Amino acid sequence: MSQRNKIKKWIRRYKTPYLFIAPFFLLFIIFQLMPMVESVFYSFTDFDGLNEPDFIGLDNYKSLFNTKNYAFYDVLINTVIYWIACSLLIIGIAFIIALLLNAKKLKGRTLIKTATFIPYVCASVALALVFKMLFDYNSGLINDILARLGFEKVGWLTTSVYSKIPVICLFSWRMIPWYSVILLSGLLSIPLEYYEASRIDGGGFFSDLKYITIPLMKNMFFFCFITTTCDTWKMFNEAYMLKGPAYSNATLFQYMYENAFSLFDLGYASAIGVVLSVIMIAISVVQFIARSRQNDSFGR
Amino acid sequence: MVNNKGVKTVLKYFLIVLVCFFSVFPVLWIFLISIKPVGESMTGLEAILPNKVTLDNYANVIKLVPYLFQNLWNSIFVSVIGTVTTLFFCSLAGFAFAKYWFPGRNALYIFLLATMMVPQEVGVIPLFIIFRNLGLVNNHWGLIIPRLATAVGIFYMTEYMRDIPDELVEAAKIDGCSDFMVYLRIIMPVVKPALSSWAVLTMIARWNDFFWPLILLRNTKSYTLMVAISNLPVSDGMSTPWQTVMAGVSIAVFPLLLCYIILQSFQVVNVTMGAVKG
Repeated sequence: MSQRNKIKKWIRRYKTPYLFIAPFFLLFIIFQLMPMVESVFYSFTDFDGLNEPDFIGLDNYKSLFNTKNYAFYDVLINTVIYWIACSLLIIGIAFIIALLLNAKKLKGRTLIKTATFIPYVCASVALALVFKMLFDYNSGLINDILARLGFEKVGWLTTSVYSKIPVICLFSWRMIPWYSVILLSGLLSIPLEYYEASRIDGGGFFSDLKYITIPLMKNMFFFCFITTTCDTWKMFNEAYMLKGPAYSNATLFQYMYENAFSLFDLGYASAIGVVLSVIMIAISVVQFIARSRQNDSFGR
Repeated sequence: MVNNKGVKTVLKYFLIVLVCFFSVFPVLWIFLISIKPVGESMTGLEAILPNKVTLDNYANVIKLVPYLFQNLWNSIFVSVIGTVTTLFFCSLAGFAFAKYWFPGRNALYIFLLATMMVPQEVGVIPLFIIFRNLGLVNNHWGLIIPRLATAVGIFYMTEYMRDIPDELVEAAKIDGCSDFMVYLRIIMPVVKPALSSWAVLTMIARWNDFFWPLILLRNTKSYTLMVAISNLPVSDGMSTPWQTVMAGVSIAVFPLLLCYIILQSFQVVNVTMGAVKG
């Protein structure tokens, strides 16, 4: 009896917060955890979405990792290139923009902030069409400028060597504003006294950057790198809309989409999804371990 | 020394102009092309400004995309309802994490953060089958329900609400407010800035959402605007009617962009205030 009362009391005491957070966990279980588990199950089957899945063991993985499966290795390499190139470009340029927006005595700061955030408001699908026009072989503005400068026209979207460049440009163009806002909030949280002290010591802009700003922004950069990693590994819209020849600029995620929803090989596509999840989890874990080691060695 | 400073200022403003140019030019260009008559040349720098202004391209898009207005309405419905509901559920959960103690709170919060590492998209195939079985394919609620409460949103709200003094909540409770009333009457007004900037960010994400509508919406009438314009005829070479395509792009981009510029310039929200605290 008293046990029951205890439980009743416990429920009455804590039911509100549990009730408030319940929607997330329910939705997570139904729409994220269960599909993930099912994905693993489907990846061991031959499944077209209509008939019952047939269990075929590791065959999907075998054909995926088969050394002759050039498509898979191509898209894997493409995704890694996007990951590295976009992360560097985005964080680098976003940091420069954040520094500019944080400059003292800046005229029209609000206007500049509003203007520089515009790319993020634009849909990547819509802007992909604009970039397609920009990078068009015959009538594109980029080739026109190149031709005027005396260079040869480049088949940006028609040759496999160059077809990744428009995708990298579009993705970075759209994401830079978001990261510059995050990095700016990091810059604003650095106490001004540090810079004042440096003024007294005669430090200039670059020494401030090296000894104050960048060291104090380390956590911010780390956060940004984690987020760009997640974003680039699941990149889809940009590469899907700016399709190059064959799989020359497709991402891993796009490869999964095509196998699932164009070729209806859902078992094989699920195997790709599982590989993608494993890679993403592995990268995140490695990043966190590297980060905590680094923090330990600095005695933080 | 003075000269050095002058050079620095010039360099600073030069970079700012450059950044602003690259941010704004593509958007401006969409508009300029969309009001250009079809016959006019598209090639080269001289062709940026239209010689003659026309609205024919917009009429063409309406002809080309059979359910354009329905698609526009779908986009508005999905993004507005999606934003409002997600704000409610995320702030409610954020309130619980920030202002209550309950067994397993920290563990659950860390778990919630960990879920962000693996995106929902990787489970898309089983999810599609679940949706098909539930009859949610071609249904716009299928785009709204799975994202009623998102981990990022809860994280954002929790971090913001941690700064609210506990006394405020305690005092309201002593006055006899129920928990939900505390949330509605005390918390909501205090976190208005966070709510409004999160609303804008969610709105941007939902309006521009492409992957989920592409998977879940399978007939032209139920498409959102993004899926509709992704089907505009674009091929490599001269045959693409860029003017018409850009008119379609304008319809997809400008409603949200105008809302953003209006809200931002009247200081209703400040998206650029910084999303994450240092």
